Amino acid sequence: MSWAWVGFAVLTGAAVFSALRVVLSPSITHAALHLAIVLVAVAGYFLLLQSEFLAVVQVLVYVGAVMTVIIFAIMLSDLPLIRGGAGLRAGLGSERFGWLPLLVACGVGALVLVGYGSVVWTAAPLAFQESLPMLADTTGQGTTGLIGRALFTSYLVPFEVASLLLLAALVGAIVLTRREVAVRVRELPKPVDLRAVARTGRGPAGPKAGDEADAERASAGGEA
Amino acid sequence: MMPELPVAAYLVVSVVLFSIGLFGALRRRNAIMVLMAIELMLNAVNLNLVAFSRYLPGAVAPGQVFAVFVITVAAAEAAVGLAIVLLLARSRRTADVPDVRDLKG
Repeated sequence: MSWAWVGFAVLTGAAVFSALRVVLSPSITHAALHLAIVLVAVAGYFLLLQSEFLAVVQVLVYVGAVMTVIIFAIMLSDLPLIRGGAGLRAGLGSERFGWLPLLVACGVGALVLVGYGSVVWTAAPLAFQESLPMLADTTGQGTTGLIGRALFTSYLVPFEVASLLLLAALVGAIVLTRREVAVRVRELPKPVDLRAVARTGRGPAGPKAGDEADAERASAGGEA
Repeated sequence: MMPELPVAAYLVVSVVLFSIGLFGALRRRNAIMVLMAIELMLNAVNLNLVAFSRYLPGAVAPGQVFAVFVITVAAAEAAVGLAIVLLLARSRRTADVPDVRDLKG
């Protein structure tokens, strides 16, 4: 029993318990907070796997941004169904499909586990290892530099596509959630032609039939 | 040096998380709950990618970069998905997935 196993066990306990709470909790706020715990636990797994960059990105993006957006959406919504408390069902069954979701999930999980069990993990790095070389040693620069280099060389096109996707998502989210504010453009008064006023001596009392003609004559006179 | 865990440990945890997420996505009616369950599944996939990037020789860059892309797409999906749910809640007064069946043939 090593410290890696201890850390792994703690993370696994927190992750699995919180994941179960996410899908089973009758309160949507509790589900969101437990999802945050799962995300932090996954960041801990990344640290155990010596992927420090991804651990930081996980915390920043998931816990910092995605969870914030979800909790904002829950808290700022005035719909009682979103805010939780009512309408969310506890228990393992689904009201529409009964026990089917549980069966499907267990079936998929069991299928993958049986698949793993049928694989002989003989490839040297995949079997139990006393020690793998540290990633920072094998890559010479840690994973951060490696990811940066890979992103801008081999994966440049996917990187650009991903940035385009983020831009589209940003614009889409803003357009979708924008409230339709009824902006009434007031009828602005026509600009006063000061030269016409000076010539004729009368102010802009309102739209008259001869106004356009007056203005035209005034501008023509100004140019002459 | 610290002994390494077998890669199967991470894979089993990943399967468990994915199954829980799948169960939640199928069971929940509330759309935000479904979105959160999908986030759970995406995280399980990320755990798999990073575990293999650690244990397979030469897979460090592809595994980690793919995980970065998955995180990116998950963030975009959460933003647009939540926007749609909020719009739905505002216009229909419902956030339940089965209640929205306009496109059902």
